[in-house]
Amino acid sequence: MRIRSFFWVLAAGITLSGCVEKEIIDDVNIEMGVGYDFVEDDKIEGTVMIPIFNPDKKIGNFTYSATAASSRDLIQEVQRKSAQPLVTGSLEIALFGEGIAKKGIREFTDAFERDASIGARVYFAVADESAKSILSGTYGNRGNAVHLSQLIKHNMETRNLPITNMHLYLFDLYQEGKDPYLPILKKVEPEIIDIVGIALFKDDKLKSELPPDKMFFFKLLTDKFSEGAYKLDVGKEKVVIKDLDSKHKIKLTKRDPYNITVEIKIKGLIREYTGHIVTPEIIKKIEKEFEEQVNKEASAMIKDFQEQGIDPVGFGQFIKSKTRGFDFKRWEDEYKNLTVNVKTDMIITEVGIVE
Amino acid sequence: MRQLFKKKLMQDIEKEAARQDTEGQKPEQYLNEHEWEKALLKSHDFKRTFYVNQKTEKKFCFSFISTLVDESILQNNALPYLLEGELTEIVDVKSLIPIADVQVSDHNEDIETKLFNGYVLLTLEGEEKYFAFIAAQKEVVRNVAQPEVEFSVIGPKESFVESLDHNLNMIRKRVPVKELIIENYTVGSLSKSGVAILYIDGITNKDNVNTVVQRVKDIEFDEITDSSYIVQLISDNQNSPFPQLLDTERPDRIAAILAEGKVAILVDGSPHALIGPTTLVEFFGSFEDYFLNYLLSSFFRLVRLFAVAFSILITPIYVAALSYHYELIPKDLLSTLITSRREIPLPPILEALFLELTIELLREAGARLPTKVGQTIGIVGGIVIGTASVEAGLTSNVLLIIVALAALASFTTPVYRMGNTIRLLRFPFLFFAELWGMLGIVVSFSFLLAHLLKLTSLGRPFLEPLYPPRITDFKDAIIRLPFTMQYNRPQYLRTENPVRFSEKKAKQKKDIDE
Amino acid sequence: MQQPVPERLQVSPFLVLYLIMSMQIGIGVLGYQRIIAKDAGYDAWISVLAAGLSIHIIIWMIYKICGTVEGDIVAANAYVFGKKIGNVISSVFIFYLLIFALAVLRTFIEVIQVWMFPEISTFWYSLVFLLLSVYIVFGGFRTVTGIAFFCIVLPSYLLLTFGFALKYAEYRNLLPIFDHSLKEFATSAYNMSLTYIGFEIPLFFYPFIKDAPKSQKWAHLGVFLTTIIYTVLAIITFTYFSEAQLAKSIWATLEMWKIVSMPFVERFEYIGIANWNLIILPNICIALWGGSMILKRAYKLRQKKGVILLALICLVAVSFFDTRAKINLLNDWTAKIGFAVTYVYIPILFIATLIAKKVKNKNEN
Repeated sequence: MRIRSFFWVLAAGITLSGCVEKEIIDDVNIEMGVGYDFVEDDKIEGTVMIPIFNPDKKIGNFTYSATAASSRDLIQEVQRKSAQPLVTGSLEIALFGEGIAKKGIREFTDAFERDASIGARVYFAVADESAKSILSGTYGNRGNAVHLSQLIKHNMETRNLPITNMHLYLFDLYQEGKDPYLPILKKVEPEIIDIVGIALFKDDKLKSELPPDKMFFFKLLTDKFSEGAYKLDVGKEKVVIKDLDSKHKIKLTKRDPYNITVEIKIKGLIREYTGHIVTPEIIKKIEKEFEEQVNKEASAMIKDFQEQGIDPVGFGQFIKSKTRGFDFKRWEDEYKNLTVNVKTDMIITEVGIVE
Repeated sequence: MRQLFKKKLMQDIEKEAARQDTEGQKPEQYLNEHEWEKALLKSHDFKRTFYVNQKTEKKFCFSFISTLVDESILQNNALPYLLEGELTEIVDVKSLIPIADVQVSDHNEDIETKLFNGYVLLTLEGEEKYFAFIAAQKEVVRNVAQPEVEFSVIGPKESFVESLDHNLNMIRKRVPVKELIIENYTVGSLSKSGVAILYIDGITNKDNVNTVVQRVKDIEFDEITDSSYIVQLISDNQNSPFPQLLDTERPDRIAAILAEGKVAILVDGSPHALIGPTTLVEFFGSFEDYFLNYLLSSFFRLVRLFAVAFSILITPIYVAALSYHYELIPKDLLSTLITSRREIPLPPILEALFLELTIELLREAGARLPTKVGQTIGIVGGIVIGTASVEAGLTSNVLLIIVALAALASFTTPVYRMGNTIRLLRFPFLFFAELWGMLGIVVSFSFLLAHLLKLTSLGRPFLEPLYPPRITDFKDAIIRLPFTMQYNRPQYLRTENPVRFSEKKAKQKKDIDE
Repeated sequence: MQQPVPERLQVSPFLVLYLIMSMQIGIGVLGYQRIIAKDAGYDAWISVLAAGLSIHIIIWMIYKICGTVEGDIVAANAYVFGKKIGNVISSVFIFYLLIFALAVLRTFIEVIQVWMFPEISTFWYSLVFLLLSVYIVFGGFRTVTGIAFFCIVLPSYLLLTFGFALKYAEYRNLLPIFDHSLKEFATSAYNMSLTYIGFEIPLFFYPFIKDAPKSQKWAHLGVFLTTIIYTVLAIITFTYFSEAQLAKSIWATLEMWKIVSMPFVERFEYIGIANWNLIILPNICIALWGGSMILKRAYKLRQKKGVILLALICLVAVSFFDTRAKINLLNDWTAKIGFAVTYVYIPILFIATLIAKKVKNKNEN
């Protein structure tokens, strides 16, 4: 009897005071996209995008914007405007306006890092012009957040965009001898968003931008395994090559000064060819041409990085892994004098179903 | 010859009487003064008729309970012979009438029991000490029907009936060996139910048998009407929602488990026999599994186990995910869930409870009503109430699907008792899911796990072969391996003879095309 | 020498594997990577391996001690120091087990508070959890072992989920190997204490093992498996995080779940943390069982009362640790006491037992 009454007290106690705050899915505003822009007077405009689930299964969007001096105040401002509590757990994409990115985004990424409810697969991107304008458009019928994240995802998996997400950004940011990079999004038409290049960071600050036609070579250097497509001129003819599987290997060939060889292996197939017939000779020629192109472009790109003092490929980290007692203080100068050779090996495996 | 027999019989009876005397009984006490008779005379079905033998003109008297006695036996097989034969003393009855079970006795205290077992008491004028019992039981037994709860498409179609003798007959036929022991006990101060405990001598562990016997003997209850009473009265832990003895209505299953080395308990008047010791996984094996190829039956067992997990967990997971863990839900599903819930005023827990209770009501109503009406209720309830409540905005259609699936899954459990338990288990899980989301589900799962770990069936661990882990017993647990690999009896039964049949050691390995 | 335990209460020797693993794997594993990398950097996985190997010596000593005295820690202390002093020393172990249980429970609640439910009440959750533990311990050692078994087997699938992090692995992080001094390696190995302790439990349940000396190989195997799990997990973590990033991650193991994506589950860490409930359950149960057992053996307190007493102390004490700093302090102290018990006290007891045995043998002769 005593035990039974004890259990009643227990059950009552747990129900009354053991409860935790609920986040019932239709009683919260699920923040799926967020963007930060610089407005005048050193103020920041934050935009939060939530999906609206209509009865006809179409997903609309709604954005809240607020202006404040710091990102902390922004959250307060937006929460105040929201009718239901704003929850961050399902965040898909965070956009940083170019102005913000140039000043450094650590302040914002720190909040994402600290918040246990935010996943590591959130996409970060730099917004050409303004993040607000991108978030407040309407793209596709699955909601803006899903649209944007799938846009980035598909371009990373099969096209020329190097793989990035919140985890990789933070990994690169904190990794000594490596600098992060993010895709740049732009609203090209009212209903279309395009990836217009890669933003290269020094620490957390935007340093320079890479145009879309260089993205293919950039991806070859940064990603462990990559896929992509590239259009090449061989003589008069044009050929589109689909890169199926490529790997790169970095080798330290000499120290003092450091000399590095990057070996790139590409397996590809021909997607389009404007010439009449693809003969083995032509394939050989295309391969050779392509190898040269890659060598040239990649070397030039690396040179450019060295001049700007950024290291998105992670040569510093690479040399550190080969050297005991590596000193990063000296690396700053050594990086400028680093010699990098790019060697490419290209194999065309298939030419499609016609010759 | 007849004289000799009579003499021997008389000697036996006297000897017995002498034994009774020394124990302080009073055989000379006159019948009519007995208390049972006074009490019985109040009932209208107690009959006493007097006749006179035509040859010796001795008066004799039949006393019996007419509702328990088949009077045609008396009329055809007893009365003509007793009237026309030479009936001088009570032992003559044995030789006169062509009925096998005729007993001459002087035990007054037996009379009551015998009368209630359908015997006719024969008393003879002048014989004050001795009297005879003539067996003339009225057998009111329904025909052997098809098993309903454990129906199988393939395999025997016999099921137990309400008569212990019939049931034992069905088992004996299947295990015709002298090692099959049937012990009989009477339980219940009012019902006097016969309880038979069956086991195979030389296979079954004596500890298990003794445990059962001891517990059956210790039962203190007045009216035992079914084996379900016995289950609840002899279970190891009577506060557990889990049945700790398997019940079956199939005589073939009893034969099979006897061969495995388990103990069976049959109760007079109950068409369900009990099996012990048993394990949790056994409740999810249908007997039909043994009639199918082992691949099929293993697959079905896995499906059933999955169904159980699904049935218990899915509604709590729904409640937990929608109340606390929106992050868990994939983006595509999120829109479906939110759209389906946008009009619903109730929080997920009430919505879930509402539907779960509706399903329980439907089940109860279906179970209480006659079969045909029950089916209608099922359809009306399932379709009409379900659709209507979604349209009225009381519940979301996603949850309706989930709850219906969970209910369906709970009905796949082959043992009815276990199915009920599983439906009950959902509610504590729901409570904790509402309280602490996923964490609550794991907490309630821990409680369940701890409870199952502590459970025993006749002192044997209930979770075996999962814990204590015994790999060899997995051959007939979650999956079923082919019969050729079932050469040992389950370990947890601790059988006296663990070998079912000798494993063929020298299996010839053939090459291709040999 | 103590009264032998009846066979129906004993468990099979191979279950020692699960007992030891379940006691070792608790809350330390959620964030040990950062602590060990503080000193030895990304070479720390070597320290994990080395520390794990050193445990085998202690296990060997434990079995030698228990084998010599044919009993548990209380018997060993009584054997060496005499009944009175022995019992006093044994009581220290009650305190050790208590603080162990407390640290595990409180840290897990902290994880829940940080990752899932910031508002969850420490008191009510502890109450439910301790009730569950008491309920289990009331079932006796066999039930406790059963829980240890299931709580290793059921959540073992979690190991696979760390495979998702492999996709992002940067193996170059681990290079160059041996880039740290011996002292740094040693500090890092010492910092593994909290994560590794728990392997000393054969001292408490030795008499409850059927054919106890045979269980030694299982104890070694258990420790070995834990070592492998910790080492592999450390390596995966080191390849997944960059060094400065890891230095900021309090619960690196949990953070790796943030990358997991499955078609039906967007975010795995909530499921993982909920599952962790199962992993810490045997920690508390074994600690409560062991503590109450010593109370019974040394002070003749009925074990039922002992368990409730210890659980109540836990319940009261757990509310005092309300900030990150205090919890950290609790964990530090648990680690220190654990280290003292396993690496200092057990070798001393081992040598003392050997001497005591010699002396006693001489006296008999």
